[in-house]
Amino acid sequence: MSLDLTLDGQVVPFQEGETLYEVAHRHGDKIPTLCYDKRLKPLGACRLCVVEVEGANGPLASCTTPAREGMVVRTVTEDLEQHRKTLVDLVLSENPKGAEITPLRGLASQELAQLSVRYGSDGTRFAGATSGHPRLDDPNPMILRDYEHCISCYRCVRVCAEQEGDYAISITGRGFGTRISAEFDVDLQDSDCTFCGQCVQTCPTGALGDQLALQYTDLPEPINATRSICPYCGVGCSVDLLTKGETLVGVQPAMDGPANEGALCIKGQFAWEWVQHPDRLKEPLVRKDGELVPASWEEALDRAAAGFAQTAARHGRQSIYAVASGRAPHESAYSVQKFIRVNFGSNQIDNCSRA
Amino acid sequence: MPASPTDEQLITRWQDEPAPLLPLLHAFNERDGHLSRESLEAISAGLRIPLAEVHGSVTFYHHISDEPESRDRPRVCMGPICRLNGSEQLLHDLDGAEPMACAGRCDDPIPVLQADRGLVGRPGDELQQVPSPLPPPNPAGIEECCLANVREPDRAACSGYVRTGGYAALAKARAMEPEEILQVLEASGLAGRGGAGFPTATKWRAVRDAQGGPKTLVCNADEGEPGCFKDRVLLDHDPHAILEGMAIAGLATGATRGFIYLRYEYPQTQAILERALEEAEEHLDGFEFCVRRGAGAYICGEETSLLNSLEGRHPFPRNRPPFPVTHGFEQTPTAVNNVETLASVAPILHRGAEWYAGLGLGEHRGTKLISLSGDVERPGNYEIPMGFPLKTLLFDWAGVPEGRTVQAVTMAGLSGGFLGAEDLDVTLDEACLRAKGSFLGAGGIMAFDDRRDMFEIARQSMEFFASESCGKCFPCRIGTERLVERLGDPSGPLDPAAWTEEVRAIGQAMTQLSACGLGRSAPLITESLLRLFPAEVSGKLGAE
Amino acid sequence: MSNPLADMDKPDVIFCIGTNMTEAHPVAATRLKQAQAKGAILIVADPRHIPLARRADLHLQLQVGTDVALLGAMAHVIAERGLMDEAFIAERTEGWDDLREHLKSFTPQWAEEITGVPAALIERAAVLFAQADRGAIYYTLGITEHISGVDNVQSLSNLALMTGNLGREGTGINPMRGQNNIQGAGDCGALPSSYPGFQPVSDPAMQAKFEEAWGTKVDLEPGMTKVRALEHAGEKIYAMLICGENTLVSDPDKSHCERALERLDHLVVIDIFKTETAELADVILPASAWAETDGVFTNTERRPQRVRAAVSAQGQARPDWWILAEISKRLGSDRFEYNSAAEVFNEFCSLSPLYAGLDWDRIDGGGYQWPVPAADHPGTPMLHVDEFPRGKGLFKTPSYRDPAEVVSEEFPVWLTTGRRLEHYHTRTMSGRSTGTEYLVPEETLEVHPADVQAWGLKHGGMARMSSPRGSVLVRVASDDTSPPGTVFCSFSFSDVPVNILTGSGYDPITDTAELKVCPVRVEPAPDN
Repeated sequence: MSLDLTLDGQVVPFQEGETLYEVAHRHGDKIPTLCYDKRLKPLGACRLCVVEVEGANGPLASCTTPAREGMVVRTVTEDLEQHRKTLVDLVLSENPKGAEITPLRGLASQELAQLSVRYGSDGTRFAGATSGHPRLDDPNPMILRDYEHCISCYRCVRVCAEQEGDYAISITGRGFGTRISAEFDVDLQDSDCTFCGQCVQTCPTGALGDQLALQYTDLPEPINATRSICPYCGVGCSVDLLTKGETLVGVQPAMDGPANEGALCIKGQFAWEWVQHPDRLKEPLVRKDGELVPASWEEALDRAAAGFAQTAARHGRQSIYAVASGRAPHESAYSVQKFIRVNFGSNQIDNCSRA
Repeated sequence: MPASPTDEQLITRWQDEPAPLLPLLHAFNERDGHLSRESLEAISAGLRIPLAEVHGSVTFYHHISDEPESRDRPRVCMGPICRLNGSEQLLHDLDGAEPMACAGRCDDPIPVLQADRGLVGRPGDELQQVPSPLPPPNPAGIEECCLANVREPDRAACSGYVRTGGYAALAKARAMEPEEILQVLEASGLAGRGGAGFPTATKWRAVRDAQGGPKTLVCNADEGEPGCFKDRVLLDHDPHAILEGMAIAGLATGATRGFIYLRYEYPQTQAILERALEEAEEHLDGFEFCVRRGAGAYICGEETSLLNSLEGRHPFPRNRPPFPVTHGFEQTPTAVNNVETLASVAPILHRGAEWYAGLGLGEHRGTKLISLSGDVERPGNYEIPMGFPLKTLLFDWAGVPEGRTVQAVTMAGLSGGFLGAEDLDVTLDEACLRAKGSFLGAGGIMAFDDRRDMFEIARQSMEFFASESCGKCFPCRIGTERLVERLGDPSGPLDPAAWTEEVRAIGQAMTQLSACGLGRSAPLITESLLRLFPAEVSGKLGAE
Repeated sequence: MSNPLADMDKPDVIFCIGTNMTEAHPVAATRLKQAQAKGAILIVADPRHIPLARRADLHLQLQVGTDVALLGAMAHVIAERGLMDEAFIAERTEGWDDLREHLKSFTPQWAEEITGVPAALIERAAVLFAQADRGAIYYTLGITEHISGVDNVQSLSNLALMTGNLGREGTGINPMRGQNNIQGAGDCGALPSSYPGFQPVSDPAMQAKFEEAWGTKVDLEPGMTKVRALEHAGEKIYAMLICGENTLVSDPDKSHCERALERLDHLVVIDIFKTETAELADVILPASAWAETDGVFTNTERRPQRVRAAVSAQGQARPDWWILAEISKRLGSDRFEYNSAAEVFNEFCSLSPLYAGLDWDRIDGGGYQWPVPAADHPGTPMLHVDEFPRGKGLFKTPSYRDPAEVVSEEFPVWLTTGRRLEHYHTRTMSGRSTGTEYLVPEETLEVHPADVQAWGLKHGGMARMSSPRGSVLVRVASDDTSPPGTVFCSFSFSDVPVNILTGSGYDPITDTAELKVCPVRVEPAPDN
């Protein structure tokens, strides 16, 4: 049986178990929200996603309201938009630094900024006390804890618990005095935090930021994102490589990555600076008089080839052996085995999986 | 248990009990005077709850803390009525004392809580531990339901209870089919007396029909609404009536286990309930009921917060659906009922649905306990017929001080906001009160006569809501704070028009968008203030 | 993996053995944690009280290297109690009667003696796993890096087959591959016994196929494994090309390995850093790195995914395929005329039936899991749904053997090695990243607090750890993750070259080194 409801005048189908937010989102509605991350159980905290449902006693949070056959739902009305503006104004009133923030802080860091533009909020209405307690003194070099931007949406706490299963941080205190902290407010490195960075990437205001990426704030070039795969373990997490010109400035998880669906670990998230590390080999080296000295590609390739040719001539073609990398891409491993098989007709080839 | 049990002994004592976190926290707190890091680590490991979560929960509650020697600090009631009685002076006079929200003894001198001792007194008095007051004598001889036997001597003891007809209804119910019990309740019209007014039979039937189990009963005794102390009188003076009601609920729903979630501020009540449970063992054969003491959080009176608290989770309200009747305590079908509701069950079964329904006036059915306090001669709990005129209760039963006029009363404790002098001509039932933009709720009414500064009382009230806002939903978390700021600094940077616009806009957003009743009803305070006392508001905005 | 990663939150009983998943494969572990949150039972078998074990419902803390005994006893319990999936055994397997007979002596009491795991716990684990609707097995190198690696895997296979936990959602035997493209390296034929796509070199038909493709007739005889090649350096092997591997630090018996490489006439290393191995080379060729190179990685669930260049290569570094093509051209080959990584990958796909339906463009979104035999094929997220590669699943009858070396008076402590969350392999990458280095700047030897005291060590002090092959100095960390009598160390730090000590033996079939077990002696050493 097909299920239908009326969404802003259109009859649309839905599936059993879907929430109104999911149905509306699937049909292209941009219902505003700040506490929603599709990977997490809806919390219904920010109340921005409220919609009007005929027959209901007041607006309902669409993220926590299951779709029901025959519902008549309005996602945009004058009243709703007015309430949403009040809410965004209230949220910004406790963001002393404003919503504008560099996207280097994290994947979701622009969400509040975008809403502040949409609702023309500048933080002056409802001015009053602020609730953020920054932990800029947390000495870890990865996760910036700039809680003056915190809006208590608890996405960080929820992603840590529900997605990561780490429960390193929790909600302490209550009401306006609520804070996000590890037990007894210890530094993250002294808690159960594994520095997967998921809290950073789901934070909708940039209160949590990627400190490594932030080092590159002042580079003038625009930020570019290139889809790739994490170079560490065999899970194959999809990532976006952030670059400014020729500088790698950060890594963000890809929410649509088939293997990881947005998850990453400390290595995938934060261990990428080696790519442009000064220790990188930048030119070929050949051994002369016992020393490894720089050489041109021509010379080095000639030396490499000549050595194999001489060895084959002296000890036979099976005396040449190659080890392919389990870290380099297919084209590398394929070329290494082809190098042995085509040039020497042997199977003297292996990879590093036995170590 | 030895005088200073080891961590392991405490954990072994509790870890296999249902809902073990709260009692374990209290046990460690009692042993050490606070909750140390080591204690929380032991609890976290013993119950397999993440340490950060245990710590987060501890910081949520008012009365437990990781600060050394925090447990024994005296806590002085700062409820609206106690402030009229000088509680700020008492707070000042007592060494190391801390303020606490209304502790539910507005019909007594000021309550001071010290660990497990509930004391009362006034500034300058010696504080005393005395039983909580009984209700005033029935003023007009109108028939009561819950309070009918509460003044009987020895009613709190099992023998006294049985002597005055107790446990007869349970015996009768044991011989009935669950459906018959439900039909009687349905016919009686009994509805939730905690304020939500949901038909009790419908709730129980939903639990009975729900898939899964074991099914669970919860008696909501987390009476935290300022100006409400009607559950206290039943718990302290008629505990068996509640146990009997729970057992009948168990027969009707198929639940055999149950919790009484008691607010922290009623320490003597815990002892009374535990004694009652012990004495009633043979009557309660087949049921396992236990008491769980809260730790100081108004929001835990909200049933889903209460369930999270019982389960040892962060006590935020849950989203609904699913509802507790299908997914309650540990996701089992759960009936959460207010103390007064449960106390009404045995009399209904005993005397019949028609009898109970007939206690109401007009089309209204049954009775309601009202906690009346403030500027009245005889504060206390009154059981009124549903639909009873407020003026009769206020002026004839309780009496207003000579020469004074009532300028406002609160409704539903604080949650219903204020009714002004011109509104007093109402009857006490939801239909009439809703028409006035208020509601009856749990039945707390505080009266303020012409001496009182209503703007200041509104500020204190909003301060209460702000300090009890759980922090989950944005409109309530930020809105209550902003309203407190505006009430606290009316002559601040805003001009009167902007001040009023902001207060109204915040209130509307809170009312329309908040996730639970706290945030939705708190703005009734400011709205009724603006409506009833425009002159006072203008004065504050313009003056100072 | 027989089943996709997306399946990992679906089992109702999870059996993890020899996998420190929260540290080695953290993102996969998040899915297991989610399964647990939904009510799945987690059984962990590991010598150490690793984070996964701390979360487990049952932790089978077996003595290192005794997996066959533990798994055999679990199978014994299932067989004795009749908890097998009889229908699955009848329809999909062969050799059950032999196994059943073989298992008779694997009593839990016998296994308790060997493994140290209480018989009752073995029984509970067996019953829980057998009674699962969806039971899934996950393992990593803790199973394979033993002289009995093959036997261990076969024992797991027996468990899955006898309980019918294969070919269905939320089940399977799921090895987690440790390196980003170790699966791909095998897929591509970087193996002594198979061409790309696991086509055996000993098959004359394959020889003919590749001769046609490449113009060279390749030997029917398989090549040596790397372990053997290193052994024969300077006698049968005289030149080596090592691409992107820090053999010296990652492989067992470091001193032996170093001597082997020094015996070569010619060593060419292609790498991105001047590793310890590269230092021994005659020629070092700088490779372009991840983030600088277009290519394909295939993950542990057989999913080829594209990696893309986001920045230019450092200095003159070039892609591996270009470097190998240039050397080959100089050796006279005209079969390496590539202009892009895409051309290399497409040639590979055209020669590998498992990838036949794929090409560079089709894997753009990473939407396929091999085998993908044809262009209209949707891919194969789950293996063994209707049959096994050989038709019916074959029960094997592995027997228990002690590790190659066992503790003695001289070497009374079990050393087991592994990974740490913060670091990867020999730290060429993670050691050059601010965050990971900040958290774990040096290696420590994990010693149980009781042993720290008994052996006269101190937390934070130095110890000398020795095996018959050498000794290393390492800082002591008092930690109850390892049980008394067993110590743990990672192989990531070159200044604690723990692989000087390892290398006691190799699996007779795969030549995989027994890196997980090595008897050692641990003594206090002066602080440096």
